[in-house]
Amino acid sequence: MTELARAFRDKTAVCGVSNFVGSYPDRTALSLAGEAFKLALDDCGMHKDEIDGVICLSFGSDYDRLLEALGLNVRYAHQGWTHGRFISPTVQQAAMVVGMGMAKNVAIIHGKRRKPYGQPTDLEMWRQGLGPHGESPAYGALRPAFGAAIAAKRYFHMYGGGNEDLAPIAVAFRKHARLNPIAVRKEPMTLADHQKSPWIVDPLRLFDCCQINDGGSCLIVTSAERARDCKKPPVYISGMQGVHAGPEYHNLAMPGLGVAQQTVLKYVPKPEDLYAYEMAGVTQKDIDFLVTYDAFTPLILFALERFGFCGPGEAREFVHNGRIELGGELPINTSGGLLSEGHVTGWNLLVEVVRQLRHECGERQVKNAEIGQYACFLGESIIFRR
Amino acid sequence: MKPSQLRIDEKTGRYLPMIYPEEIPFWEGLKARKLLLQRCNACSKVWFPIGPMCPKCLSMEFTWVPMSGRGVVHNFVVYHKAWMPYLQQKVPYAVVQVELEEGPRMTTNMMDTPLEDIKIGMQVEALYEDVTDEITLLQFRAAKT
Repeated sequence: MTELARAFRDKTAVCGVSNFVGSYPDRTALSLAGEAFKLALDDCGMHKDEIDGVICLSFGSDYDRLLEALGLNVRYAHQGWTHGRFISPTVQQAAMVVGMGMAKNVAIIHGKRRKPYGQPTDLEMWRQGLGPHGESPAYGALRPAFGAAIAAKRYFHMYGGGNEDLAPIAVAFRKHARLNPIAVRKEPMTLADHQKSPWIVDPLRLFDCCQINDGGSCLIVTSAERARDCKKPPVYISGMQGVHAGPEYHNLAMPGLGVAQQTVLKYVPKPEDLYAYEMAGVTQKDIDFLVTYDAFTPLILFALERFGFCGPGEAREFVHNGRIELGGELPINTSGGLLSEGHVTGWNLLVEVVRQLRHECGERQVKNAEIGQYACFLGESIIFRR
Repeated sequence: MKPSQLRIDEKTGRYLPMIYPEEIPFWEGLKARKLLLQRCNACSKVWFPIGPMCPKCLSMEFTWVPMSGRGVVHNFVVYHKAWMPYLQQKVPYAVVQVELEEGPRMTTNMMDTPLEDIKIGMQVEALYEDVTDEITLLQFRAAKT
């Protein structure tokens, strides 16, 4: 660990958040983004003119139009592919910008419509090579579900088990969503209901897949010092590590499964694969709850093994018997996650970490939560503490 | 053959592969019933997906060489949902990843093989499906031996 990293621990914080999810057929992404920004300002008690850094999504409105709409001039603007696997790197970037003094208060603003106005969707699967989740349209290998399904198939081939091992994940998150006033899916779900849901891409059933929603969210990142003067308790950024990428890190898989050109091996993380813990000065045992990108249920198995919560092939048994539910050994996705709270291209997951650590989650609050981790199958992670 | 950006075949409604300029020898090979991949002139690595340089040594000198067309099913999934009208007549259908004898793994389908016969580890061989007058797709079937 570098000297700079040692000094960086807990020196930046998330001070304001907002999140809403659902269906807003008559509103644009710009309108959703604007409202998310306003709500996050209200949440932390900052005036808009204190915001001198903005990071926004590369679809929807461009950064310049967004800033024009918000009447905001900043000294740090960035627009990128800040969704899905790149949400936590975006927060990391904001923290580094604050840490380096390039801006004092950075707002990460996100507004998205499920079906955007005037922009093509679904073109990424025709990119040179294969799509970002391994898609190959001419062979009918369509949609991100493909990446999760081929990864799950290899996982079950290597370690045994099958679709029934995914049921407790969907059921756990649905139980959590039922305690979350804004969740879009709240109908009760049993293990049997999961097993009766139709196949989408075998080995994935309908209840293994999330839905896509319209929504908005915003996180404001500032210095630890400034955060202590805000309306809500600061949530400190303690440790972090990036998206691991390359031929060994297929999207929607974990290393070692042999998806596409991956090497086949029983993956066990090495110390350098777990830098965030070193930076935060904690271990897996200190984590009170985990939040992970759950567009598809197998991703939970992969995150648990990627970060060493479980050994190779052990996550599929770990997720049974309420261990990942509120009150269990390691509660995961306490908001209901993308599977049941809704999919605001992932941002709602990070908002949940912040709210849990502020102890403002009501019925779904993890008791005495002190340290929460956002950690995903591709290795990206942020460890937060209150 | 020329690069192609046509995404859907108007006659059949089927999705087509986008044909990028540096992939043309691959597609011409398939039309001639040959599976050609790039082999590095410097270190002999064979790679896929098709790319501008050897991913091992970064040499941009390579030769298109024929593969044996033999391999094993390394992985597969079965689509039950038809995400476009053309696929309604195809579901349930399998998408497989075949590991070639030469090493690279390719995402394809299986022809002439009942769905229930597809297993990880089964021996397969290449065959070729003309999807338009211009474009031929690589396919696989259970090995005849």
